[in-house]
Amino acid sequence: MTAVKPQDRQQAAPQRAGVGERMRDWVAAGGLKDRTVLLLVLIVVLVVAMTILDAVGVTRAEFNSDYLASSLIAYVPLALLGIAQLFVITSGRGGIDLSVGSMVSLAGIVFAMLFQQTGLPMVVSIVLAVLFGALLGAFNGFLSAYLGFPPLITTLATFYGYRSIALVVSDQKPISGPEISEFYNAAKAIELPLIGQTLPLVPLGVFTFLLPVAVLAWFVLNRTAYGRSLYAIGTNDTAAQWAGIDTRRTRMTAFVTAGAISGFVGVYTVAQFASARPDAGTSGGGMALPAITIAVLGGVAITGGIGRLSGVLLAALLIVWLNASILIVVPGNDGAQAQLLALGLVLLGAALFGQLSLRRRRAAGAPTTVVPVVRSP
Amino acid sequence: MSVDTAPERAPEPAAAPQVSLRRILPPVVTGQEIVLLVVVVVLWVLLGIFTPAFLTTGSIGPLLVQVAPIALVGVGMTFVIITAGIDVSVAAMIMVSAVVTARMMVGLDIPAPLAVLVAIAIGLALGMINGLLIAYGRVHPIIITFGTANVFQWLGLRVFDSSTVNGIPGTLDFLGRGDPGRTLGVPHSFAIAVVAVAVAWWFLRYAKAGRSLYAIGGNQNAARLAGIKVQPRLVWVYAVTGALAGLAACMMIATGTSTLDQSVGSGKELQVIAAVVIGGTSIIGGRGSVVGTLLGAILVQTVVSGVTQLGWPTQLGFLFVGIFIVIAVGTDLIRERARRRA
Repeated sequence: MTAVKPQDRQQAAPQRAGVGERMRDWVAAGGLKDRTVLLLVLIVVLVVAMTILDAVGVTRAEFNSDYLASSLIAYVPLALLGIAQLFVITSGRGGIDLSVGSMVSLAGIVFAMLFQQTGLPMVVSIVLAVLFGALLGAFNGFLSAYLGFPPLITTLATFYGYRSIALVVSDQKPISGPEISEFYNAAKAIELPLIGQTLPLVPLGVFTFLLPVAVLAWFVLNRTAYGRSLYAIGTNDTAAQWAGIDTRRTRMTAFVTAGAISGFVGVYTVAQFASARPDAGTSGGGMALPAITIAVLGGVAITGGIGRLSGVLLAALLIVWLNASILIVVPGNDGAQAQLLALGLVLLGAALFGQLSLRRRRAAGAPTTVVPVVRSP
Repeated sequence: MSVDTAPERAPEPAAAPQVSLRRILPPVVTGQEIVLLVVVVVLWVLLGIFTPAFLTTGSIGPLLVQVAPIALVGVGMTFVIITAGIDVSVAAMIMVSAVVTARMMVGLDIPAPLAVLVAIAIGLALGMINGLLIAYGRVHPIIITFGTANVFQWLGLRVFDSSTVNGIPGTLDFLGRGDPGRTLGVPHSFAIAVVAVAVAWWFLRYAKAGRSLYAIGGNQNAARLAGIKVQPRLVWVYAVTGALAGLAACMMIATGTSTLDQSVGSGKELQVIAAVVIGGTSIIGGRGSVVGTLLGAILVQTVVSGVTQLGWPTQLGFLFVGIFIVIAVGTDLIRERARRRA
């Protein structure tokens, strides 16, 4: 739950005055249909059900806080790329980024080359890898925002292009070495200082990679003019233009952000695997499809203009813990396959449920305001 | 007055349909298709000059065999994209059809026609699930098909049961790349794809149901108000795409070895979408042609095979696929802008 804390705090803070009354207002306004609440309920149901199964003795390994915490190592890249999709999809006009997996691979290779083969200091290499990711994203953004390419097409093309470059540049061999092996420590589990005794071991990557990006993304989306512009262009591009927003630059920046985050994930995968794999982000089904799934599950509207960071973070958490749960209930290969089924069914269920409640609200004549309401601080 | 106006007004009703028909139907061959054809011919000539082995039947034949499943599924995908939709589950549908059919061929030794029917029926059923969820759930097609792709993949992997399907008999060899798969040097599978493209071309251009797909893609609400039954049409479009994926699965079984592994179909969804958009079909919907898709599929496969034959890294081919997508869509955008200005 550590990664979700900033969200909880944010939601809890304004409720101090007249909690009961506020709760009643909130329920009356359809708060229970809120995606974050739905996801929270699903997570709680999952944990309770698994605890019961564990007590009955159905699970093959112990289901406890240590297990949940250690599974967070897969949470970091998934949540980060979910945030990347949040920016791009929210920008509207068919915004979507199929190329994140390829950018992860390519930025990871570039990072390893700079860090291992050129011998640059770690921090410099990381910054350059993130900037390189931003550059890749800028190409996506330039084609989509300024030249008018549909983002699905742009990022399909760059998915092929970046993946191909990553494989050719690295000669299809992973890059590894002593420096990178040491870098592995950046992702492994640690005990927190001070409170470490009572809490389970949490992968360090959650604090070094996910937390800074999540806090920054939350701030940008909810507390800056840029964030407001992003929701505005996603809701109605023409209206936003007449309101004086530079829609093209705003949309381009969303793609640049997605690229930078992908670059950061590229660095993370190097730490996670202790080597830079040229297919890190594209092997198997690739990283883009799960990331889009996470974003949609988290309540990001594929048509743009709607989407909250809390939803994405919770959706990623639900999927990661669901996957971890399936692994200890369903043995071996069947477990890995059942994860596919679970992901598909959860996505379909969430999308159809969301559409149903939206239509009901519309039928009842309620406004379907899509931009999240920001409470004044 | 009335005497003057009558002769003027009279010819109008007769002339009107002619004019509007010409306006509705695009030219028989569009600019994009001519450009694509030229690019393919130029590429073939260049490859022929640099690698003499390229322009032989031993090289072109297998190339066309590989084009066939992409072009075939591309026909369905063109329908889908014309209605402003998309289907990213085709790879998973190919996998399910392929593994079930292969298992039945091994276990029951079913004859070829039955194998093809089984594959098509499975694809049709899976496609219909897509169609029903998209048409009546009213969720964006990309989300639905992402979801069903995962579910279908699980289904396929269950049938694989953590191993490969071994000892597949040569029942479907008439679709393969060997001698039984050719008549007068023309691969059967490619001929089937061309026939499918021809039928689809006629259907999209002259059939009422075909024209309605463009209407749905152009403006779904307007199409409904014009009396088109949008939902049943959409179900049908996704079902056809599934059925074609089933037929493509037969070709993939036939072109492979006697062993079918779990990677069958993997990555095909993006190759098919690439072929369709290179062929000039607008991803926004309402515009597109199947002839372009066939040429797009040939172009994609030519680039991928050509790079290998030149002795360059295989992976470099996909960089060129990406570049071709950007060029094809870019020129289309420029022409679209010019059209709007005119």
